[in-house]
Amino acid sequence: MSENRALQRAHILANHILRSPPLPSSLSLAREVCLQYSPPELNESYGFDVKEMRRLLDGHNTEDRDWLYGLMMQSNLFNRKERGGKIFVSPDYNQTMEQQREITMKRIWYLLEKGVYRGWLTDSGPEAELKKLALLEVCGIYDHSLSIKLGVHFFLWGNAVKFFGTKRHHEKWLKNTEDYVVKGCFAMTELGHGSNVRGIETVTTYDPRTGEFVINTPCESAQKYWIGGAAKHATHTIVFSQLNINGTNQGVHAFIAQIRDEDGNICPNIRVADCGHKIGLNGVDNGRIWFDNLRIPRENLLNSVADVSPDGEYVSAIKDPDQRFGAFMAPLTSGRVTIASSAIYSAKVGLAIALRYSLSRRAFSVKANGPEVLLLDYPSHQRRLLPLLAKTYAMSFAANDLKMIYVKRTPETNKAIHVVSSGLKAVLTWHNMHTLQECREAVGGQGVKTENLVGQLKGEFDVQTTFEGDNNVLMQQVSKALFAEYVSCKKRNKPFRGLGLEHMNSSRPVLPTQLSSSTLRCSQFQKNVFCLRERDLLERFTSEVAQLQGRGESRESSFLVNHELAEDLGKAFTEKAILQTILDAEAKLPAGSMKDVLGLVRSMYALISIEEDPSFLRYGYLSRDNVGDVRREVSKLCGELRPHALALVSSFGIPDAFLGPIAFNWVEANAWSSV
Amino acid sequence: MASHSQVLVEEKSSVRILTLNRPKQLNALSFQMISRLLQLFLAYEEDPSVKLVILKGQGRAFCAGGDVSAVVRDIGQGNWRLGAKFFADEYMLNYVMATYTKPQVSILNGIVMGGGAGVSVHGPFRIATENTVFAMPETVLGLFPDVGASYFLSRLPGFFGNNTLSFFFFAFPLDPQAISLSHPSCSGEYVGLTGARLDGADMLACGLATHYLPSTRLTALEAELCRVDSSDPALVSTILDAYTQNPHLKQQSAYHRLDVIDRCFSGRTVEEIIAALEREATHGGDDWISSTIRALKKASPASLKISLRSIREGRLQGVGQCLSREYRMVCHVLKGDISKDFVEGCRAILIDKDKNPKWEPWRLEEMKDRMVEQYFKRVEEEEDLKFPARKNLPALAMAKL
Repeated sequence: MSENRALQRAHILANHILRSPPLPSSLSLAREVCLQYSPPELNESYGFDVKEMRRLLDGHNTEDRDWLYGLMMQSNLFNRKERGGKIFVSPDYNQTMEQQREITMKRIWYLLEKGVYRGWLTDSGPEAELKKLALLEVCGIYDHSLSIKLGVHFFLWGNAVKFFGTKRHHEKWLKNTEDYVVKGCFAMTELGHGSNVRGIETVTTYDPRTGEFVINTPCESAQKYWIGGAAKHATHTIVFSQLNINGTNQGVHAFIAQIRDEDGNICPNIRVADCGHKIGLNGVDNGRIWFDNLRIPRENLLNSVADVSPDGEYVSAIKDPDQRFGAFMAPLTSGRVTIASSAIYSAKVGLAIALRYSLSRRAFSVKANGPEVLLLDYPSHQRRLLPLLAKTYAMSFAANDLKMIYVKRTPETNKAIHVVSSGLKAVLTWHNMHTLQECREAVGGQGVKTENLVGQLKGEFDVQTTFEGDNNVLMQQVSKALFAEYVSCKKRNKPFRGLGLEHMNSSRPVLPTQLSSSTLRCSQFQKNVFCLRERDLLERFTSEVAQLQGRGESRESSFLVNHELAEDLGKAFTEKAILQTILDAEAKLPAGSMKDVLGLVRSMYALISIEEDPSFLRYGYLSRDNVGDVRREVSKLCGELRPHALALVSSFGIPDAFLGPIAFNWVEANAWSSV
Repeated sequence: MASHSQVLVEEKSSVRILTLNRPKQLNALSFQMISRLLQLFLAYEEDPSVKLVILKGQGRAFCAGGDVSAVVRDIGQGNWRLGAKFFADEYMLNYVMATYTKPQVSILNGIVMGGGAGVSVHGPFRIATENTVFAMPETVLGLFPDVGASYFLSRLPGFFGNNTLSFFFFAFPLDPQAISLSHPSCSGEYVGLTGARLDGADMLACGLATHYLPSTRLTALEAELCRVDSSDPALVSTILDAYTQNPHLKQQSAYHRLDVIDRCFSGRTVEEIIAALEREATHGGDDWISSTIRALKKASPASLKISLRSIREGRLQGVGQCLSREYRMVCHVLKGDISKDFVEGCRAILIDKDKNPKWEPWRLEEMKDRMVEQYFKRVEEEEDLKFPARKNLPALAMAKL
């Protein structure tokens, strides 16, 4: 029976073969040539000196940066792996939250041992500060969790001790912080109050009998929330609290409290809970803290602005609680400065990966049987990525500029730093999120693999739009500050000085009706457009607010009603500030290829900003024809920047190992032999 | 044809055996040798009948480096650009080797220094023996580790003393396990700054060599390689693996000092490195520590600083970028516009042999950052070194770009 069945099958098969059409005689037996990776370096050329451009973009401490990149690549703690013959270092995001927290702490110990943090709190002066900022940026390029955990310890805890504290605090804490003898955190945000620090509910009273402060969490909404380091590692914290002296609330003050002993056990009268798993930054142990009438020595009040005497008398040189609060908050700008610059480095990582990929990946043929086209040779792909590249360049200069005014700060520049850092923090972190999303889509499915970074970074950096001040709130603060400046100048009939508002002293710029290509690329024209928008919006905003105030509305509620104008104005101010920084950078360069390319980048930045902001049409600064011309010019600029794409991302100076495998030989990285 | 006899060529079926043949000069690379090697390598790449290239040295050296005495003579006659041409060709040869499409097997049965490392380490297979002595002694000559050393020294995964693990950027096949197991270190900085000598076992341990065998087995190995008739690195690797042995590391090997090397040579600056070594010395130092410190104090301060910076930059750059940066640096060295230590070093070590160079600047602190920076800038009226586009690059070579 089974023999019969076998015979039957053989018959059927034979019939199949006999009846199938004869093979064409011309059939080639040679294998079709397979898709091969070709490094972009082989086909693209550098039209300018990439190293010089990198120096310009990094702005400072390039050697220190390279040293730290090297330290991380050399250690086994940084999850080194090989893909396609190259070495990569990036965190293993597939680890559990607990593992990520532990490995982040271990990386911190390793860098400590290598002397990376030497002088971070004990040295001062612009040079030391810039070095510290550069090294922190490099940490953030490796992993946002690493830089945040360091940032909390050094910039929040450490700087609070340094700036809010006095000699006794410095002597006791700074060196120990630098050496990680203590691990600090910073308890400001509460469940019920975040950006509005003045509303926090934690209360501290003074007990003159024992000479102690008593810190208490009076209700659930007063629990400290999102406190980086609190869930696992921190031994000490800065506590922000209302200070109540003899029934009078003196406003928010900062105290030092120990929360864990040397063995990591939580101290009495402290309760700590975990914030749990997050959409990113899982290497940071965010926690919640409750204080149950915790007693701390009187000396633990950070008393640079105000103090309480042993017998319980409140003394402060600054009588107005509002001003006192301002003086308190001023040093915290460092957080916004570092966030703004780290957002730009994250955008650089995303763009370097997406653009390198777009220079080696092909899709679809334009002609039948023709070769497939390189992604970046599609005008649509250029339009998606190159404007973001130009913005990243412009914002990179803005971030550097902000760092410079920050490290050279004086009491007179505090206000300007506050306003500029607020605007830049918001605009740059938003830009990073947009850029990462576009890059993720631009590399297609490869973007969803965590090892290729672009997708993962979205989760890792998302919180930047919220922490250290919600972006929307910060933008409102920019508008409010501009309003105050305007009103004060007009009232005293004084010319505008500072905040880049000097252009308001001269007459309103007039824009030509017809916009030629050369007009659109002219720096004076671009400046005029940006100034016109800022000036007009500021005038509109102030007159709208004044009108409402005239009808008896409060200033605050007048602001609220005009939130759209406020938003437009904040954006106009910040974008103009950014344009100014890239113009300044360009102006300092000697004539040559680098200056030419930077000119293209600057024009792209200016024109894409115009293209994307409806204000120009809404308020009639430009006509419909004008914005059509702008759009055409953007498209032309895309074509002109295309040949420089590789050089422009190489100039970011991010070592290959810190990018994802798809930025390089993605065929080899995915080969069967590597499975 | 006299110049050709400095490089002997043997044709054995699909294999070409090239022998560096200036034994009296320890096979130091002359201008002619470099041109000849470059010519041969480029020709073999085009020639489908050639599958494998073996490079070795006549006598007790593989190659003691570039023949710099001619270069120093040129400088003396006010013609540093002639010397620059020598280095340009040498680096071009290094680049071609690093991106070569066919396997190169280098037999390091003797002295391998400076330029000798440049013509071997870039290839995928480097055979060490009991006769091998390796060093990058440039810092005592007022030069810096060049020939692409800022690429390969900065990628030394360190000593791990297991010859089944391969050096991740050069050896074949790539073994991801090797990378995760390897103990990374600052041995590149150590080797490049101190000019420390390594023997064959050390070289294998740190990945500068890929295989080790007793020199008595070389003839048999060569014969077998001549029968391979394939450019498949995996096949070549199989043959070499069968011959390789596990050598014993000497008691005084730097391998046993890896923790100290790592602790000290990860310092940010040369000053920090020396300070760290001196700290180690005061906490129970020994001969090794003091000779390491002595080596650093003997070297040219200018050389030390530009070498450290070069290795640190090299760690983050492709092999082409490394070589063209080194070319800028060497032009400044030859031109003597910042320091004339190269001429002085060659005088003291190679010509007068008084071993007493008068470095200028004399102290590390006097070699300022901005002077170091100068070395990395383009030399006026001197083009950057540009490398030819290479075709059909194997994946390993692509990864080096």
